[in-house]
Order: sequence, then structure tokens, then C-alpha cells
Amino acid sequence: MRIPRRALLASSALLAAPAVGQSDPRPQVSVAVQNLATSNTLEMLLEQSNVGTRIFRNYVEPLVDTDWTGDMSLLPGLATAWRRLDERVVEFDLREGVVFHDGSPFTAEDVVFSFGPERMWGGGGREVPASVPQTARQAFPAFERMEAVGPYRVRLVNSRPDPVQIGRMARSIAVIVPRGAFLAAPSFMEWARRPVGSGPYRIAEFRPDRLLVMEPHDAHWQGRPPLRRLRFLEVPEVSSRINMLISGEAEFATDIPPDQIRAIESDRRFEVAGGPINNTRYVVFNTAHPVLADPLVRRAMSHAIDREAIITALWEGRTSVPRGLQWEFYGEFYLRDVEAPRFDPAEARRLLRESSYRGQPIPYRCLNNYYTNQTATAQILVSGWRAVGLNVQLQMVENWGQILGGEPASRGVHDWSASAVVPDPSVQTVGSWGPGSAVWRRNQWRNAEFGALCEEFDSILDTPRRIAIRRRMLAIIEREDPAYAVLHRNANFTAKRREIGWRPAQSFFMDFRGRNWGA
Amino acid sequence: MVRFLLSRLLRAAVTIVLVVTFAFVVLRLSGDPAQIIMGADAPPEAVDAFRTAWGLDQPVWVQYFHYFGAIASGDLGRSMRDGREAIVLVAERIPATLALTVPALLIKLLLGIPAGIYAALHRNSAVDRALMVAAVAGFTVPSFVLGLLLVLVFAVQLGWLPSGGQESWRHAILPVATLGIGGAAVLARFTRSAMLEVLGQPYIRTASAKGLTWRAVVWSHALPNAAIPTVTIVGFMVGSLIAGAVVVESVFSWPGVGRLMVVAVANRDLAVVQCILLLVAATMVVANLTVDVLYGVLDPRLRTGIRRAGAG
Repeated sequence: MRIPRRALLASSALLAAPAVGQSDPRPQVSVAVQNLATSNTLEMLLEQSNVGTRIFRNYVEPLVDTDWTGDMSLLPGLATAWRRLDERVVEFDLREGVVFHDGSPFTAEDVVFSFGPERMWGGGGREVPASVPQTARQAFPAFERMEAVGPYRVRLVNSRPDPVQIGRMARSIAVIVPRGAFLAAPSFMEWARRPVGSGPYRIAEFRPDRLLVMEPHDAHWQGRPPLRRLRFLEVPEVSSRINMLISGEAEFATDIPPDQIRAIESDRRFEVAGGPINNTRYVVFNTAHPVLADPLVRRAMSHAIDREAIITALWEGRTSVPRGLQWEFYGEFYLRDVEAPRFDPAEARRLLRESSYRGQPIPYRCLNNYYTNQTATAQILVSGWRAVGLNVQLQMVENWGQILGGEPASRGVHDWSASAVVPDPSVQTVGSWGPGSAVWRRNQWRNAEFGALCEEFDSILDTPRRIAIRRRMLAIIEREDPAYAVLHRNANFTAKRREIGWRPAQSFFMDFRGRNWGA
Repeated sequence: MVRFLLSRLLRAAVTIVLVVTFAFVVLRLSGDPAQIIMGADAPPEAVDAFRTAWGLDQPVWVQYFHYFGAIASGDLGRSMRDGREAIVLVAERIPATLALTVPALLIKLLLGIPAGIYAALHRNSAVDRALMVAAVAGFTVPSFVLGLLLVLVFAVQLGWLPSGGQESWRHAILPVATLGIGGAAVLARFTRSAMLEVLGQPYIRTASAKGLTWRAVVWSHALPNAAIPTVTIVGFMVGSLIAGAVVVESVFSWPGVGRLMVVAVANRDLAVVQCILLLVAATMVVANLTVDVLYGVLDPRLRTGIRRAGAG
């Protein structure tokens, strides 16, 4: 058994805490989080997760920023302006004077490299993890090339028209990295454990499953960051996170369940920030299951969900039922007259009588509180379904492999959540439910008309026509041939010291930039 | 003796192979690692590419023979999460775990054994009853409850100690105490029972009747005989040094082998889980082997039995 000496020496640094420069008057902040990163890396091409979303924007930046603590609209980021040249090409003016953490200047060459084969698509002379090109292709389905047209100007060229071409440049996967630092790393995975970016903080130390320390990047284009040190500590137990807050070891504790809010706020030193975010919890149907192949059964299931009861009993009324799978920041694509199917047990029973359902069991595979309140929500759902005559059988499983494993016909219902990342329904709806989605290709749910509408919705720029298509898509996927039943908007709660001026985002992202500190 | 050791070593090797085989099969039958690590949103092509890259598209028996072939050449595999060598990941965590379990073992021995002996020698006294009440409480309270209780008192209420993490020696106090108290309680109960049983034996009466002092009877006759069941428990505790703090490490966010195992199992990070299990099985087997040898040292009848077996 070979144990590298370096590893042993590194591990013998047990219990050692590095001293920090005490002359810097800026505060140090510790954030207790449930999970630092699911992939054990900080490279967003590998870390497409809610927990990755929480931290990424503090150390890397995309061309297009998002007003995270505001209305989620798009803002200039590493690009100061952009213009559409034609249906396939968008030109970006790059911000001058930006410096990466390694001291190198940001130029068009770095943008081209970040979207190039050596980092994103493979085949560029460096080995890229097998999953990366596939993930990138799903995020940028029409991407053809990124080309420099000057030291501070690039053009994004698509293979077909894409109405979300600019919005996709705000996604976490679209961050820009310095070419030199990337190529200096021995391998992609070495890079991924300690990436270099241009964000307000640089990675000082990353110990997977344990600790992430960031230090200020004082040359940041928005000015000196407000914190001397920003630490994210992985503390899996919620009670331990709260204890760390109360004992003064952390200034923030994340992922607080709603039933803990009153207890925390009973101490005047602390408050719980947060509320509904751009993420919706829903249950999804597998139409390969013989019972769920009948849309009447799925419609009945949707009408048998008492969404308000879930929100009142489990969320203390701190979130809301969305108008289907859409968010206000979709702007003109937000259809205010659309509602989630109403709770109507009588209608559910009527639909079941008309259906082919004769009491067959419907499996409902459920993880143990992967989502906040997941198990209790599942119990409420099952009880509502049973009340109208549906024989839904709750099956507690351990992981996503077990949720999606086995013969397709053996899977019935499972939980899921959906995030909106850009102010256009295309990324969420087409990306998660269209012909290119994992759901579609797993044959979990398909609808020919919906598929055709996705193709059109994703390839035209005519907004009124796209709104009409969007309306029809929602009618199909939520009412006529349901692929899912929305439950409630997800809410994210962060406990913190009351005197700290900091606003939560409508997302899992925790923004520690200057404009959100002391706010 | 050599044959005895060889037979024990052979059994140990078989045990380790069985443990690793069991883990290998169960981990692969209880969820697709590719889907778990890539997530439910991952494109099927990405999941397939991941499977191919890590050989998960091969039949299980092919993967099994590849795995054992690699072990034979000293390669314990790489983490599917971040590509690092599994042995490096595990080795990084061992000192952290030992920083808890070794001091905790000392507490168990230094508190548990004397308490058990004292309680047995003062059977039915107030001290005996008090010790046994404390011992029962100590080993019936789950470690996560005891840990949270200690945090509530010493970190949250009194503010004397940190509640979690691993930044200084002070961070180790509460997890060590949590592990130590529970284990000391178990040892106290076992030691008391063993002592009481021995003290009721005819040879103790004989030794007393021969005119030996009570101290000499206890030291020379009672303690060595009572040590046998206690050594069994201590051997188990020594065998648990690597993976015996899973719950406590989670409660105190202590980045040891236990936490790594929880995360690796949840993510089906196969090489890491298998590496930990191999290590744990080896530790337990070595501890058991040591206990077997100690039995022979402590009990002359077993030594005789070993010699007879060797002669036959």
C-alpha cells in the first residue's frame, strides 16, 4: 500500500490554522454550509449544482452578470455592452483593466480560450473529463464558435438562431478563466480543484468536504472587496450549523429549515434572511409506467395536491404556489393568467373514474430530505392521493441512481426541483423537458406537439410568437398531458448575525461583493 | 505457535477478501455511481461518457477482476469525484481521525477499567451504584445526542469550547469527550461483570484461604483472569480506531475518515469506499489477531491448547 509522503506531511498539519494579516481592518466572515461542492471541485463545468451556485460568483465571473439581489435582470459583467449582429451572432465589448487573480490581464484571448476545445469541448490537445463536453453542449446547444475581433471584443457565433444567446452567457458555466493559468495547471482536474478567476475573491485554500477559504482580490474591477477573509465551512448537520452561529464561530449558517426560524430569531442577536427563490419544487411523472401512461391519472394526481396545506404546515406560509413552472423575472414571458392546477379532490375522483385506473400501485421513489421538508411533503402528497383513490406507494431510496434506476416501467413518480437561471423560459423548459433533455431521452415523458413547439420556441426571435408558443407549451405540459405537478416555490433561508448588512439573492448564490455588504 | 499464527493470518486474508467483495457488489447494485455523481439533470450522453471513462459499462465480474488485479499491483483506484488517488484521500484523513480516537481510547481505558474494577470490589456500595448508573447512562445515550448535549453546554451556553471544525486542539476536546465517555461506560460495565464473575470463582477463595492478602489475590489472580473479556472489548475498540467515529465526526464537522466514508458512500465513490473498507477490515483483523495472541499470553490453558494443536 503506497502512501505518498507529501500526503502524509500535508495531513500532519492537523489542527493548524494559518495566521492572517491582522493589519487589514476588513472583517473576516465564516459561513457554515451543508455541502461545499458535490464534485469536490470548484470548476463550474463539473459543478453544476445548487451548492456550486452558492459560491462560484465570488471567485469567477461571466461576460454577463445577473442582478442577484435585485430583479435577476442581466447586467454588464466582464462584458460592458453587447449587440446582436444577426440571428446567429452576438458581439460583446469586453471590460478593459480587468486583472485575473494570477495578475494576468483579461483580454479577448481568454474569452475565446474559455469557450475553446482545451477547456470545454475536448480535442484541443489536453484531456478534458468525459462529461464536460456533454454538459457544455446541453448548456450551449447552438454554440458554434467564439472569435476575437480585437483585444477587447469577441463574437459569439451560433449554428442557428438562439433567443437566449445572451442569457446563456450569464450562466455559471459561462465563466471566463485565464488561458495562461489554465494551461499552467498539470491537468484539468488539478485546475478544477483550484481555479483562477477574476472575481472579487481568490481561492486561498480548498479542502474538499471541509473548508473553502477565499481572500480578497484587491485589484478587482469593482474595487476592493469588503472582506479580509471569506470562509465556507462544511457542516452537514443543521443543528451544528446553528450552534456555530450561536457560539460565534460562524457569522452565517445556511440551509435553515423553516421550523428553526423562530427559535433562532428568539435570540435578538440573530435573524434569518431569505425567502422564495428562483427554484420550484415539483413531482414528475414517468409515463413509461403503465398506469401513468394515461394522462387522466396524472391530471387527477395534480388536482389531489393540497399545495396550500404543504406551504402552511411545512413552510409556515413563507413561500407560495407558483403560476406553473414560471417566474416573475421571465418578464413578458411570465403569463399572469396561468395558475397551477387547483386542489380539487372531486375533480380528481371524476378524472380517475374516466381513466383506465383500477387501483394498481403507483411507486413514488423519494429521497430522505434531499430537498428541505421532502419526506414530510411526500407524506402529505401520498395521503392526498390515497384520499381520492390512488394507490401511491412511497418508497424511500438513498440516491439518484436508485430513483432513476431499474426498468423504465418500474418508475412512477419522483421529486425534483427546477431553477430558472436566465430571464427566458427556454433554458428551463426546453432544456429540462424538450427533445434534447435528459427526461425526453430517458423516455420519461414525451409529447410530439410539445417537442415541435420547443424546436420553434428555441429558434425564433419573434417575441409575440414565442409568448403564444409558451402559453401552449404550459397548457400541454401542466394540464393536458402533465409531465409534472408543481408544488411550491422553493425557499432558501440563511441565519446570520443581525448587525450584518447583507441581502440574500433570489437564488442559492451568496453575494459577498461590495455592493451587497453593509447594505 | 507458527501454525496458529498462519491459520489466523489465512483467516484474516479471507475475511478481508470477503469484506471487499461484499462492498464491491453491494455498492454496484445499490445505485448507478455515474447517475449519482452526475446528478439527475445530467445529459444521458454525459452519464454514458462517465460510465465508459470509469469502466462502469463493463460487466460487474470484469470490473471485479480488474479491481483485484489493480490491488495486487498496489493501485487502489481513484476517486470518481475529483480524480485523486483514493489512498491519498484516505491517508489525508487518517491523522484527523486518530487525533480523536486515540485520546478517546486512552480515556476509555483510564476511566472505564479502573471504574469497573472499583465497582466490582465495592459491589452494592453507593459508589458502585453511582458508577453503574453513570455507565448505563453513558452507553445508552447515543453519541450524537451526547455530542449535541456537550455542544449545548460547553459551546453554546458557556462559550468555553468551539462547537465544531478542526482548527486547533480545543476543537478536539468535545468530540474526544463524546467518544471517550461512551466507550468508558462500556468498558466499566464489562470490567465490573468480568471481575464479579472471577471473584466468585473457587480459586479466589483458595487463594484467600492460603493466606494471601486481598490485594495480592486481586492483582495476581482476579485481574489477569478478568482481563480476558475486557481485552476482547479493548481489541474491538482498537480495531475501530480508523472508522469508529463516523457519527461524532459528522456532528462535530470533523474531517476524518468517518466523514469521508459517509460522503463517499452517499456519492458511490467506489474506489474511496473500497479503500476505506479495506483499511478498516485490515485494522480490525490485526486487532483481532493481536487479541487472539493476548489470550494465549493471559490464559495458560489457551497456550497449552495452542501447543497441543501444534503438536497434533
